[in-house]
Parts: sequence; C-alpha cells; structure tokens
Amino acid sequence: MIWVQLVNGLMEGMMLFLIASGLTLIFGVSRIVNFAHGSLYMLGAFVTYALVPVIAPGTVAGFFAAVLLAGLVTALVGVAFEMLALRRIYGADPLMQLIITIALVFIIRDAVRWIWGANSQMVPMPDALMGALVIGDNYFPIFPFVIFGAGLVVVLAMIGAIRFTRAGILLRAGTDDRGMAGLLGINEKLIFTGVFAAGSFLAGLAGGMAAPYGDVNYLLDTTVIVSAFIVCVIGGLGNLYGALAGAMVVGVTKAMGVMYFPRLSMVLIFLIMAVVLVARSMGRQGGPAR
Amino acid sequence: MLENTRRIAVALTMATALTAPAFAADALKVGYVTGLTGACAPISEDGLNGTKIAVQEINARGGVLGRQIELLVRDSQTKPEEGGKQARELAAAEKVELLTGVCSSAVLLAVNAVAGEFKIPHSAIIGSTQKANIEAFHPYFWQTQANATMEAIAAAEYVAKKAEWKRITPMGYDYEWGHTSVDAFVGRLKELRPDIEIANPVFTKVGEANMGPYITAALNSQPDAIFAAVFGGGLVSLIRQGESFGMFKRSNLVTLLTVDTLQSMGDAMPKERVFGIARAPFFALDQTPELAAFIDSYRAAYNEYPTDWAINGYDAMKFYAEAVEKAGTTGADAVMKVVHETAFDGLRGKALKTRAFDGQMNVPAYVGEVNFDPAFPFPTMKNVEIFAGDSLMFSEEVIQSMRDAAK
Repeated sequence: MIWVQLVNGLMEGMMLFLIASGLTLIFGVSRIVNFAHGSLYMLGAFVTYALVPVIAPGTVAGFFAAVLLAGLVTALVGVAFEMLALRRIYGADPLMQLIITIALVFIIRDAVRWIWGANSQMVPMPDALMGALVIGDNYFPIFPFVIFGAGLVVVLAMIGAIRFTRAGILLRAGTDDRGMAGLLGINEKLIFTGVFAAGSFLAGLAGGMAAPYGDVNYLLDTTVIVSAFIVCVIGGLGNLYGALAGAMVVGVTKAMGVMYFPRLSMVLIFLIMAVVLVARSMGRQGGPAR
Repeated sequence: MLENTRRIAVALTMATALTAPAFAADALKVGYVTGLTGACAPISEDGLNGTKIAVQEINARGGVLGRQIELLVRDSQTKPEEGGKQARELAAAEKVELLTGVCSSAVLLAVNAVAGEFKIPHSAIIGSTQKANIEAFHPYFWQTQANATMEAIAAAEYVAKKAEWKRITPMGYDYEWGHTSVDAFVGRLKELRPDIEIANPVFTKVGEANMGPYITAALNSQPDAIFAAVFGGGLVSLIRQGESFGMFKRSNLVTLLTVDTLQSMGDAMPKERVFGIARAPFFALDQTPELAAFIDSYRAAYNEYPTDWAINGYDAMKFYAEAVEKAGTTGADAVMKVVHETAFDGLRGKALKTRAFDGQMNVPAYVGEVNFDPAFPFPTMKNVEIFAGDSLMFSEEVIQSMRDAAK
C-alpha cells in the first residue's frame, strides 16, 4: 500500500507543479500574483469536457489532442487578458493587480456557469487508460501513471526551452533583472505576453489532464489556487525548480500523511510552508519584490 | 450573470408590487434564501425549481386564502453571514410569512436564528443539520426531510443487514456534517452488529478532487464496505478514482446518491457494489398520479428529471399552503399548531407527521443498490429499502439530554 500511496503523492505533485509552474513563471517575470491562474485551470477542464466527445472519443490520442487544444484556448484567453488589462497596470500598486486578477476570476467563473451550468460534469476517461495494474495485493491505477508521464514530458520540454532557447534566455534575463533587460533593448512587453501565454497554457493543460480523474465544476478554480500558492511559497515565488520540489513535497507529504497521521495531513503541509517562510523570509530566490 | 438576471427580475417584481398597492397587500410573501452561487449552487437551483412549480400550481387554483404566493428569492452565496442578513431584511422590511430554501447547514442555522427572533415559520428543505432540531431549535422550525443523523442511521440499518460484511471503514468530509454522520452511523451500527469491526475513519477536506490517497488509506484496512459521508464533486471523485483503485472489486461503497449525483455520474457509475442513500428518489417513490403529474410539469419546465431537492421543495411548499388553509390565517402560532397536528400527504408518502418537540417530520430515508434501467438516461437504484422516519428519529429523551449537554 505504501507504494500505491507514493504514486498517489507523485501524481498529485505533478499536477500541482503544472499549475504552480505557470504561477511562479508569471510572478518571476512580471511580479504579478495571478489569482486567476486557478480559473484558467478550471477553464481548461471545461474546454476538454467540450472537446473530448468531438475528437476521436474514447481513444488516448483523441484525449490528449483535446487537452492540447484546451491548453491553446486557455493560452489565448490568458494573452487576451494580459494585453487588454494587465499590461496597463505593470508597476502599479499591488492592490490594483490583485483587484484585476480577482475580477478575471469572477468573469471566467460566471462565463463558465453561463455556458456549461452549475452542475458537475464528467469527462470520460480514454478506454485504454481505465483499470489498474494489479501487483499482488496492490492496485496501481493506470491513469495517474500516464498523467505523471505526460507531466514529466511537459516539465522536461519546459526546462529545455528555458535553458536552451532564445525565448528561455530572454525569460531568465527578465526574471533576473527586468530593468537591465529593458535597457539592453529587449522587448519587455513581448516577454510578458509570452510568459503569460505559456503559464496559461500550462494551467489549461493541467486542468484538461486531471479532468477525467474527478468531476469538472466551476468551483475548481479556488480549490486549486490555494494549493498552487502553497507550492510556490515553499519553492520560493518565481523559482521554477523550487516549485518542482515544493509540488513533490506537498503531494507526497499529503498522501503519506493521510495514511499515517490522518489528523495531521493538512497541518503538515502548512507546517512545512511556515518553516520555509521563517527560514527564508523572502522565498528561496531571495530579495524583496521589485 | 444568471444571478444578475434573477436580481433584476426580483427588483422588477418588487417595483411592480410598489406601483400596485392592492396586489402588494394581498400577496403572501415567502422569503427564499438559498445558495445560488457557491458550493450549494447546483442543488439550490433544483430546490428552487421544484418550489416554483408548487407556487405556480397553488396560485393557479386561486392562491392561499385568496392570496397569491410571491417568492422573494435571495442568493446567500452559501455564506452564513450573508444568508442571515438577507433573512433579516426579508423579515423586517418585506414582512415575509415563511422562510425556506436554505441549502448549507451553516446558512440554515443563521436563517433559523432570524426565524426564531421574528417568530416566522421556517421550513428546511435542503440543509438538514440536526442542530436545528436539537440545540438551535425553536417552535417555528420545521424540518420537512430526514435530517443528517437520520440518513446516517438509515445507512447503518441497511449495512447491518448485510451479514457477509464484517469490516467497515467510515469516510467523511472533515467538517461538522461529515463528523456527525460518521458518529451516528458508527453508533447505530455498533448497537445492531457488535461483531462488525470498524476501522479508523478517514476524513477528507470538503470537495477534495484528488481522492487517491484517501481511497488507498481507506482500503488499507481491507474493509468489506466503505461508508462515505461525502457529496458533490468529492463524491464523484471518490467513485471514479475508487474504480481505478479496485474499490468495487475489493469492497463495497455506501454513500449519498441523490438524483443529481446519479445524473452527474452517468455511464461512469460502476455497475455494481455501489449502494446509495437518498432523500426523494422519484423512481423509488410511490408512483402516484400526483408524482407523475409533477414529473411531467418539471420535465416540461426544466427539461430534466426532478432531483431529490426539487421534490423536497415542492412538497414543503404544498405542506405550508395546506397548513395555512387549514389554520385560516398566516399567523405563525396558528400555522405551526396545524403543522404539528396535521398529517400531510406528499410525494414522499402519505400521512407524514411533524413532531412538535423538535420540528422533525417523520419522512422516510431510502437506501438501495445502483442499477442501470434503460428507461432512464442515467443510473437509478433497485431494491430500494424505505426506512420509516419514526425508526430513525432520536427519542425525545435523547434529544433532551443532548440539549441539556449543549447548554
């Protein structure tokens, strides 16, 4: 059972990382805490719900195609939001940023309720991914393994892009020292929009991939955003590798906690967060927000 | 967006009421406080839809004592402080003569306090916390459905009959309702079947999407059945993820399966080993002409089958209208006297009675087995056992001792 529980924890960690990575990338570059990130996750889940019955239903390829498209749709929504609203308030009072991103939370929530209604919806799981590997007494569900693998591919692609592509270099430059990057003639606006698109894409992707595992409802936004923030805080806001470590720590701690310290499982996570906050008061990357 | 339209509609109704004083004086105002947004949204809407059909029928035949019923709907956003404020406004400014519609337990207690203060009858149709019957009870409170402990006790009675089940793991949402349900279930089951071994309960946060770790922990004690006081999105996650952990090969699940959950699950519902507790499953009720007529009007109006919440809303509004007719007045004391002395016929059974001691109506609880009936586009239940309300209710002595303990 302990191995099954480890798989549970790693899979939850991977989902958390996909969400938190976008949140942390966006913060790293633009210093904006995007409360609407969970809404993009929720939107991705609903778009997947709409697309799955249309694209080769029941097949694994059809499912992942639907998830990719959902990611693209949320990326477009993210870009539109960045260009229409956020772009005007970079450097403004953080309270202003808070209000605008929270406004987006409500807009997406009401739009989703208007289109799909308030009831929970189901995304069918691809037939091939149902069921479990039975090893002795242990059932290892197939779907979480596949999701973990797919998440790993996304993570490797993301890390590769950040390390080795020009876009990645610009992004790192923007995160390290925005002012200097601007002085060197790098188009800041392009970086911001690009990061927002990438972050929104990841959120939509995560929402779509997780959709068949539970239900899809318009309250997923706030459910997800809190855990994503915890992950970012543990990892240090703006620090991608920190978020990866944070996500795995949260996922595995929660799963093991449920098994061995059922009354403490949530407390443990907040405890870790508190310890990290005290130990490094500005997050792992250090330095006050610029 | 929907809320806004609704708010405008309410505002318009009030505006017309102001310009037509004769109508305003005449209408019997009912304050309907419900969670149209927030966690309660899906079931709140169903309850309101059922209530609306009852109001239409009552008004079409001339209203109550010649007065048309006017529903004043408020969205509590599933927040107790908001619901309490709205109930107060409805009581003080609108002079409503009935409060109803509340979904969440916390909001229910807030609204119930206002009802007690203003001496307005308050009928509970969705939110079902037994606290309103016990510690927070006042003589104007009226519970027209099985309360939370009654449902858990019905589940225990059902589980006790399964002689082959020797080990049970309880699960629940980690808040008041989840804990009282688990306690009531375990308490009754231990009485009925001392031989059953009950594992440590597993509690999850409300609406948990990733049930995997909890399922693994629950299955770790190798139970013959899992009792889960869980609903909504978390329940759907529990069933869907449970499938891939072999829950329905190694164990059985007993949980709340109201019609909305059955509809949401659809084809994803496991074919066997799932047992459901329900409040008003239309397919398992007495198939009377009244029920058939209600199902028809409901489907015509909303294009879906009525859920448990819709039937409760409909029944409760009909009961209230009948009580007012019989009392010959809307005066709260006279109406409540009739409520406590009359046997009501509803869609959920005939001659339902309300106990004055705690305002609990002896409505039944339903427990059955998941079934795929080709007549319906979603799973239903078969071999549904109906547990009479009286056998599930705490005795007056028990309630009195609980009230004393709470003081």
